[in-house]
Amino acid sequence: MSQTYSDLELDALRELANIGSGNAATALSRLIGRAIDVSVPNAVVLPLADAVDAAGPAESEVTAVLLRVGGELDALVLLLFSPQDAADICGLLDVEPGTVLGASALGEVGNILGASYVGALAKMSGLELELSPPQVVANMVSAIVSTVLVSHAGESGLAFMLDSELTIERASCSLSMMLVPTRAGIAELLDRLGL
Amino acid sequence: MGEIIVKMGDLAVATGPGHVLASIGLGSCVGVALVSRSRAVAGLAHVMLPEAPTEGSAGPRYADYAVPALVRELAERGAPKDDLDAALVGGAQMFTFDGSTMEIGLRNERAVRAALESEGIPVRAAATAGSTGRTIRVHVATGEVTCKEAGGALQPLLRARTTTTTTQRSTR
Repeated sequence: MSQTYSDLELDALRELANIGSGNAATALSRLIGRAIDVSVPNAVVLPLADAVDAAGPAESEVTAVLLRVGGELDALVLLLFSPQDAADICGLLDVEPGTVLGASALGEVGNILGASYVGALAKMSGLELELSPPQVVANMVSAIVSTVLVSHAGESGLAFMLDSELTIERASCSLSMMLVPTRAGIAELLDRLGL
Repeated sequence: MGEIIVKMGDLAVATGPGHVLASIGLGSCVGVALVSRSRAVAGLAHVMLPEAPTEGSAGPRYADYAVPALVRELAERGAPKDDLDAALVGGAQMFTFDGSTMEIGLRNERAVRAALESEGIPVRAAATAGSTGRTIRVHVATGEVTCKEAGGALQPLLRARTTTTTTQRSTR
C-alpha cells in the first residue's frame, strides 16, 4: 500500500474536514451563543513519533474528548483543550471546571461537535456512520495522542490526521478537533469521493 | 548530563556514567528497561504494538522484535542476558471502548513479558496498566529506573545496583 497521498487526494480530504468542522462550529456556536472561527484544516501526514511531538511538550496536561466513529468508517474524533481553554469553555457553560460536571459538559461539547462533524461526513460520502458516546480524559498530551495514533495508524507507522482549530470569539479560547481514520478508512473516503 | 530520549518505536543502549535513557509520556506504549546487574550498561525500548503482522514489517516498534534486539545490543556492549534485570512502565488503557483495539496497552505488556520470559530475563518491577500516562527514566551509571505518573510523584522502580564496579575514594 502506498504511504503517501496525492495533492488532489489531500485536497479532497481537507475539503471534507472543512465542511465537517464548519458544521461543528455552527453547532458549538448555537450551544454557547458566540461566534466561532474555524481554521482551514490541516492534513497531517507524519511518522508517528513526529506527530506525537507536534502535539506539544510530551508531559504537558491536556483535556481530551474522544469519540469513536463506527459503521462504514473506522475512525476516531479527538478534541484537545489546554487546561485554561477547558476551564474557559466550562465557564461559558456555567459549570465548575475540574469537576465531574465540568468533565461531563466537555463531553457534551465533544458529542455535539462530533455528531455534527460526522453527520456532515456521512452526508457527503454517503457512508453510514455511527458515533460512540464521548470519553473525557485529562492526562499527559503525549500519552493521549500516542495511544490514539497507535490504535488507528500503528501498523503503517505513519500518522494521518485532519486537524481543525476552532476559536471562540471574544473569549480567546480555542480547541483542536482531529479526525483520525485508519488507512482503510482513508481509502474508503477517497473511494466514495470518486478518487 | 546527557538525556537520551527514546521515541516511540525506537530503542537505545548506553554505557558509562552521565547517561539517562528516557521515554516521556507513555500511554498504551510500554517502556522496557534492561539493566546490567554488574556494570554501567543499560537499554530502553519504546514498544508500540505486540507483534509484527508479517516478517517483512518487523521492527523495534513491535515487542516481539524489540526485546530480542535490545538483548542482542546489550550483549555486544558486555551485558549478557543472564546479567540483566527488566523493569516495565506504560501499557495503560487511556480510553475504554467496548471490544475495541484500544486494549493495546494490555496486549503490549503481555507480549513484552512473554518475550522477556523466553529470553530468561526477570521482570523486577513494573508500573503498568491503569489509565494514566507515565515517564520512564533509566540512569545508566547507577542502574536506577524511575517512573513518574501524570500529576504524581517520582517513583523508584529499580534501585541502584549494590555490586558496582566503580570504586569510591575515601577522603581522610
